[in-house]
Amino acid sequence: MLSFKKAVLATAAVAAIAGFSAPVLAQDSDEKTVAITYIVEHPALDAVREGIIESLAEKGYTEGDNLTVVARSAQGNMTTQTQIASEFAGLKPDVAVGISTPSAQALKNSMGDTPVIFAAVTDPVAAGLVENPEHPEANITGTSDKQPPKPALELIQSLVPGAKTIGVIYNPGEANSVVQVDEIKAAAGELGLEVVDSPAAQSTMVPDAARNLVGKADAILLPTDNSVISVLEAIVTVGERAKLPVFTTDTDSVERGAVAALGFNYAEMGKVTGDMVAEILAGKTPSEIAVVVPGNQDLFLNMKAAEAMGITVPDSVKNSAKKVIE
Amino acid sequence: MLSLSDIRLTFNPGTATEVRALRNVSMQINEGEFVTVIGSNGAGKSTLLSTVVGTVKPDEGSVKLDGLDVTDWPAAKRARYVGRVFQEPRLGTCSSLSIEENLALAAARGKKRGLGLALGKKDQKAMFAEHLEKLGLGLENRMGTPIGALSGGQRQAVSLLMATLLPMKILVLDEHTAALDPSAAHKVLTLSAEIAQERKLTTLMVTHSMRDALAYGSRTLMMNAGQIVLDIKGEERSRLKVSDLLERFGRAAGTEIDDDQLVLA
Amino acid sequence: MTLFALAGAFETGLLFALVALSIFMSFRVLDFPDLTVDGSFPLGAAVSAAAIVGGFDPFIATFFGMLAGAAAGFVTGLLNVRFGIMNLLAGILSMVALFSVNLRIMGRPNLPVYGQDTVFSRFESVVDAGLWSNTILLLIIAIGAKLIVDWFLKTEIGLGLRASGENPAMAEAQGIRNGAMTLLGMSIANALCALAGSLFAQMQGVADVTMGVGTIVTGLAALIIGEAILGRRTVFLATLGCVIGAVVYRLFIALALSAGFIGIRPQDLNLITAVVVAVAVVLSQRRGKRGRKQLFNFKLVRGAQQNDEGQD
Repeated sequence: MLSFKKAVLATAAVAAIAGFSAPVLAQDSDEKTVAITYIVEHPALDAVREGIIESLAEKGYTEGDNLTVVARSAQGNMTTQTQIASEFAGLKPDVAVGISTPSAQALKNSMGDTPVIFAAVTDPVAAGLVENPEHPEANITGTSDKQPPKPALELIQSLVPGAKTIGVIYNPGEANSVVQVDEIKAAAGELGLEVVDSPAAQSTMVPDAARNLVGKADAILLPTDNSVISVLEAIVTVGERAKLPVFTTDTDSVERGAVAALGFNYAEMGKVTGDMVAEILAGKTPSEIAVVVPGNQDLFLNMKAAEAMGITVPDSVKNSAKKVIE
Repeated sequence: MLSLSDIRLTFNPGTATEVRALRNVSMQINEGEFVTVIGSNGAGKSTLLSTVVGTVKPDEGSVKLDGLDVTDWPAAKRARYVGRVFQEPRLGTCSSLSIEENLALAAARGKKRGLGLALGKKDQKAMFAEHLEKLGLGLENRMGTPIGALSGGQRQAVSLLMATLLPMKILVLDEHTAALDPSAAHKVLTLSAEIAQERKLTTLMVTHSMRDALAYGSRTLMMNAGQIVLDIKGEERSRLKVSDLLERFGRAAGTEIDDDQLVLA
Repeated sequence: MTLFALAGAFETGLLFALVALSIFMSFRVLDFPDLTVDGSFPLGAAVSAAAIVGGFDPFIATFFGMLAGAAAGFVTGLLNVRFGIMNLLAGILSMVALFSVNLRIMGRPNLPVYGQDTVFSRFESVVDAGLWSNTILLLIIAIGAKLIVDWFLKTEIGLGLRASGENPAMAEAQGIRNGAMTLLGMSIANALCALAGSLFAQMQGVADVTMGVGTIVTGLAALIIGEAILGRRTVFLATLGCVIGAVVYRLFIALALSAGFIGIRPQDLNLITAVVVAVAVVLSQRRGKRGRKQLFNFKLVRGAQQNDEGQD
């Protein structure tokens, strides 16, 4: 015979379960859920995320109204990233978005048939996300920020006349970065430049890696590498002291002290990615959407940094810049 | 000076390894008395000492020092009133610190330690030298030597000095010659008796040697199975020989002794 | 090696001397293997960076960083003393928790102080020695910290701390409260480590939440190398060993990197550190009597340590 207390508890439990499941059961088919994850908080990745949400709003999907956005940062930790991917799998969103290579890879493993869109992935083929970027064979597609290194090297040549050796700092543990460095080396060869690479396995080793290039390189070029860019100021400090100019491949770093960069506008990339998400929400499948590399490259210039690192910027270059920081 | 009342202490109660270490122990030691304590292993003598010193709290009962109820006081707090010499020479001193530094630690016992230099007090070094001289070991010339370089006997002598440096209410000697060779042990024991007598110190000495238990001090307690089974002093004690004590010991160990029945043959 | 790299080695060496002093306090004096340092190093950086960006004077910001470090050490000590958590685990718990704390303090994974007033820029405006300005300031700080630690361990409290770490039973018998000593010692140790982190962030221009990874290893390497060279017969020598060991360690790394022969790359550093530390430990065990070192004496005579007890 159930005691009164137990009966009350049992009823409360059933009510709680019903209460929690009600929203799930009552989900409107018109309301869409987009789950976004990114490996770490970083200006570029954040800009992509915001671009996606903006684009969706423009296409008629408003957060809180007919759109639920779940966003999770993996705090730079791969174990957390895997956990988030599992969480998303249980969430069963309409689309899952992975901003950065590790995030996209984690989603690929966990999401099954759910459409996955990747963003800011430098080499989706090498990362195992698609085999055919023109015509994705599975439920994954997205945008890539694969930058051709030649324009960056030519920029360096124009600002550092007589430069013969380019130093590159990167994390050898990031597959993304290794690919970029190889491409930089290939392009440099074509331009008659030498490349010295200075690996840094974690952000604490970056200042050493930078110091190591003094006297060996005429300029530093940094690929988009999370652990290196997170401590960019350390490299800039070394660059100023040794009069060794620092160039990057992401434009946000220019504001932080790099001399110049040609870069993708990550907010733009976010918009393009958002457009893809909207298409999926409207009914398309990923295999119908080719991988996109946004075309434009803007020049960002930091005059103060240039002066500090001993660079004179010709007016022609200055005038062609999209943004000049004094 | 020291009063233990109805002390009960059980280790691991209610488990397979339960040990009733002290069963309703009561005793009083007057000021100036030098009491020796003997008993076989497991009799409870170390536990008894631990309750006096404060490293262990009894389940029931009280410990009073010169009228102060110190039952709940942790060992560090009680240290002000208790001078203690450990069994192991290594335990009672800090090997890497010099003789002078060890003595300085003892000199600060019970006082508030501040940011003044430990070895900086004006007449402290001279005072230490004076005390060390009395030991007759030449240590006053080696005050800067790390104490780890000294022999066991020398270390115990310094430990004794440390324990008696400041005025205290009771001196506790915890089988303090057990780890020494016979000649060093004899020296240290003689020293202990001298200092105790000279300064009229209330002393509690645990020993494993029946001979020493009778030869030193003015009163002997014998423990067995967590209880005090024999308490002898005065003339009767001075007439006892080791063989007599052994016989008494055997008797006490074989039977259950009532608290009231402290039989003196 | 370029002059630039040499100056860099001295700078980082003197900075990590503070970490070595911190490890000396916790590992050696207190006998408390403290892993909090991997968290208190970036904590000092985070607090100082946030303070500087928030408009505080860099010296005050650095002081705040030290206070934060002291608090972190205190918490680790509390976990151990009050809650009975094993010392190693207590340090790990603090270190892990501090990651989140540091993120909160900075509000982001990394916080630049580049371009702001730092203790280094202030010093340089007074003493401009070009490439060596930072080294000089760090030398003053490192030696200053060393002398303060030396002095402190000679005070009554400091002596009590040493006793507590070496022989807690004896310390207790001398009226020393071991718990209080642990809390005090841990606070001091982590304040030193946080100071190092604060200076590091100001020197490199940015505080990063992952910058603490491996602090314990560097600190231990510096400490052990210092002991191999100078021994630890007296406090003065032991702390001097911390400074010299840290500088030697960083010089060695800079040398290895710039030489480039045998193809040593920065990612080999962990292996090199392990080898160096192992060699230093082995060498430090080949000691003659009374701590006089006999480096490179491969005719090992077992039982050379004939003075009883005590001497390590």
